[in-house]
Amino acid sequence: MSEPVQRRKLVAGPLSKGDKWFFRTTSVAAHFAFVLVALVLAFLLMQAWPVLQSQGFGFITGNTWAPDQKPIVLQLGPMLWGSLLIAFVGILIATPMAISMAYLIVYMLPKRLAKVFTTLVDLLAALPSVVIGLWGLLVFTPIAATWAEVLNTYLGWIPIFHVNHAENGFMRSPFIAGWIVAVMIVPIITSVTREIFSQLDGDLINGALALGGSRLSTFRKVILPTSSGGVVGGVLLGLGRAVGETVAIFYVLNLTMDINWAQLLEPHGGAVASWILARFGEATGTEKQGLMAAGLVLFVITLIINYLANFIVNRAQPWRKN
Amino acid sequence: MARALANQPWRKANNQRRFEIFIASLIPLPLVAYISISQQLNPILSFAALFLPMQLIAASIVGYHAYGRRGVGDAVLVVVTFFFSAFVLILLLSVLSSVIIQGSRAISWQFISQNNVYVSPTTSLDYGGVGHAVVGTLIVVAITTIAAVPLGLAMAVYLTQSQSKTRNLVRTFTQALSGLPSVVSGLFILSIIESTHMGRSGFTGALALFPLMLPTVARVAEEALKLVPVDLRYAALALGAPNYRAFFQVILPAAKSGLLTALLLGLARVVGETAPLILTMNPSSSTSLNPFSGGMSTLPTFIYNYLASSYETSQARAWGAALVLLILVGFLFGLARFLGKNKSIKSKASK
Amino acid sequence: MTSLVTSSSLRAENISVWFGERQVLKDVNLVFPANQVTALIGPSGCGKSTFLRTLNRMHELIPSAGLAGAVYLNEQDIYSEAMDAVSVRIKVGMVFQKPNPFPTMSIKENILSGLKLSGRKIKDADELVETSLRRASIWNEVKDRLSDQAISLSGGQQQRLCIARSLAMDPEVLLMDEPCSALDPGSTRRIEETISELAESMSIVIVTHNMQQAQRVSDQTAFFLAEEGMPGGVVEFGSTEQVFNGPIDQRTNDYVNGHFG
Repeated sequence: MSEPVQRRKLVAGPLSKGDKWFFRTTSVAAHFAFVLVALVLAFLLMQAWPVLQSQGFGFITGNTWAPDQKPIVLQLGPMLWGSLLIAFVGILIATPMAISMAYLIVYMLPKRLAKVFTTLVDLLAALPSVVIGLWGLLVFTPIAATWAEVLNTYLGWIPIFHVNHAENGFMRSPFIAGWIVAVMIVPIITSVTREIFSQLDGDLINGALALGGSRLSTFRKVILPTSSGGVVGGVLLGLGRAVGETVAIFYVLNLTMDINWAQLLEPHGGAVASWILARFGEATGTEKQGLMAAGLVLFVITLIINYLANFIVNRAQPWRKN
Repeated sequence: MARALANQPWRKANNQRRFEIFIASLIPLPLVAYISISQQLNPILSFAALFLPMQLIAASIVGYHAYGRRGVGDAVLVVVTFFFSAFVLILLLSVLSSVIIQGSRAISWQFISQNNVYVSPTTSLDYGGVGHAVVGTLIVVAITTIAAVPLGLAMAVYLTQSQSKTRNLVRTFTQALSGLPSVVSGLFILSIIESTHMGRSGFTGALALFPLMLPTVARVAEEALKLVPVDLRYAALALGAPNYRAFFQVILPAAKSGLLTALLLGLARVVGETAPLILTMNPSSSTSLNPFSGGMSTLPTFIYNYLASSYETSQARAWGAALVLLILVGFLFGLARFLGKNKSIKSKASK
Repeated sequence: MTSLVTSSSLRAENISVWFGERQVLKDVNLVFPANQVTALIGPSGCGKSTFLRTLNRMHELIPSAGLAGAVYLNEQDIYSEAMDAVSVRIKVGMVFQKPNPFPTMSIKENILSGLKLSGRKIKDADELVETSLRRASIWNEVKDRLSDQAISLSGGQQQRLCIARSLAMDPEVLLMDEPCSALDPGSTRRIEETISELAESMSIVIVTHNMQQAQRVSDQTAFFLAEEGMPGGVVEFGSTEQVFNGPIDQRTNDYVNGHFG
């Protein structure tokens, strides 16, 4: 019977003074992010808690925002729903465009053109949201309103394209806001999808081609399924961005507490981020705290979405070359 | 290249296909025009409704003729891809051209240098400008950068150089922070302002931008440091260097361009931010060099304040400011790209 | 159903290959008769794999690819204008060096993937799956877990799965590009046994670095060589027996006796 092996603890030390200082400083700095996130949450929570407590669950579900009423009622329902609705419309519009662009760049264009197009997409990503908001209001809204009118005229029998009073016009509707949001998130989804497509194991595609695959069948049965996880992650990243979008749709959307469930062409809707911006100027006391609570809710939502997105993108990676 | 051309037996068939596809894609145009004119339909409407289906049909016919059933599927895929991609490009070009065309009406040397103190909504474009906003942008962003870059860099160094077990925690929190909606960052600082009765100023605006710039810098810097081959570090350590010397003398220089990219991308991100500043900073029409009290305007807040005006000149000012902002962001972006290219060449060479 | 005897043959006539301006193969003339296994041997980099890819029109997927000469499958030039590359690949299957099962599909789905990718109707799917897996000598190991993910198999099993996948297409010729180089000796041996059985129903062309393997499985052997700075070509081509035991060319002699390579 031999004695159990004594494992020695391996420690890279003792460290010199300079190293101790080096590691300590960077460690403090690094944990700053942790502290910062905790601070944000803590401060917002502190300010928002009274409101959350008094309004209860109705804060999220109810549809009255009456800061002057006694007792005060602050409820975010229509805004919350509106944010999700607009983000959803944005994703619906942006995803096919983004995947097509990624497919074009990786599998159809020659190398030099592919680089140009990639740069163009990244340029779109760099555009400040206020510039998109400017363009959205002054240039795009009239055009989109015409599209909305056409949709309403020919497809108005479908509930989502139905409008209560067509003569009010179609400006400032979730439809237009959804388009603007789509313009903002197309570059994100395209970039992620392009990365994944280009990292796809070449052997898989060669294998599919050697079996007699055509362009379409290879795309549908090999490329898309293998990269689906990462693409979904990219879409979620876009969703996170869409939900937090403030200025781009601020002037484009008519914010009202009259909840708009799914009538996309109706000229009113909701968005939490824009609501915060709209109300904070005149808000005092409790209403201000209500806005803080709204910000907290928004942050939690984007945290969840981004966590999911990163989890899915980093998890299974069957597309990786090794 | 002549030899390569001569020795590609598949080329003739491929070229013939391409020619057929090209012809087929041209046909729908006059066809749609004819239909809309003869039926007296709205031309744009009929174009929108008919062009795509016709392209699909034309491409499918060519595809079927060339490759049978699978040719139809491939043709549809190609047409759809082209259409969607073209749409994206059209949207991008629309934004760019609107800003350039509308913005150049207002832009001039005077526009970039003067401020708007004596300007009313009806003052002609010959007077006033965004000078104060440019200065404000530079000041606010500079303050943010001074805080965010060293900290972000330190974070990246920590994540790549130390062996600590809490690294994953830090990385998770950095990711969480990068998802922070900009308006919530503004709310955060606003709540601090309210609690401490600090006044709003350029400084508070910079504070609101800080949580937005930090994660970007940290993330890109981390990637830049990870690209440095680990053998370089080992070589330095094997020569007897302590960690901090290995870092400053070997790793840092090797990652220089990547770190600059991190800085530039962080800058590009916050230069265009609006919502946090609306919440934490008072606008101003005069040029202020004092970030610690009084109002200040930046290019994005300038645009925000002017864009919804019903006065045409005010809208023109907003476009002009947008053009200046675009040039600034484009410049930062191009610089980051240019440095990024050199970085990848360097790292490929050292492999 | 799979055919057990086929009279198809594959013939390469004066094949020369370029990548851009650089010629890598010159005047390769080889015949691959039905039901025979042909080994392509030679040092690294002399164009064996490149030549293999000209046989199923995978070579042209590389942008700078160039080719002269003809490849006749049943006396039809596969590079003629009328021929469609995809239909060639359905008849001439390929197994790659690194096993590449489709990671999102199960074992069963992988077998049927070729038919789905080429848009062909599947009759008696279960029967086809069993037959293909049997022919690839892997049926007994996976028959109870056909719905498992293909990547849960070991390396050697994955490669046999890829062979079965190609077999499901009922090809007339099977091209194998160093199929065992990434595998352990046990899996290698099993695949070599499979090759011998498969030759009863198709022609097989196998690129290999392993000369013992070439001697074990092939009926005829072609020795490729590229002198420095020159395009590669076939130095000697004949029955395996003759090439290894009584080579005509001195260079062949040197190679098979291990003097270089």
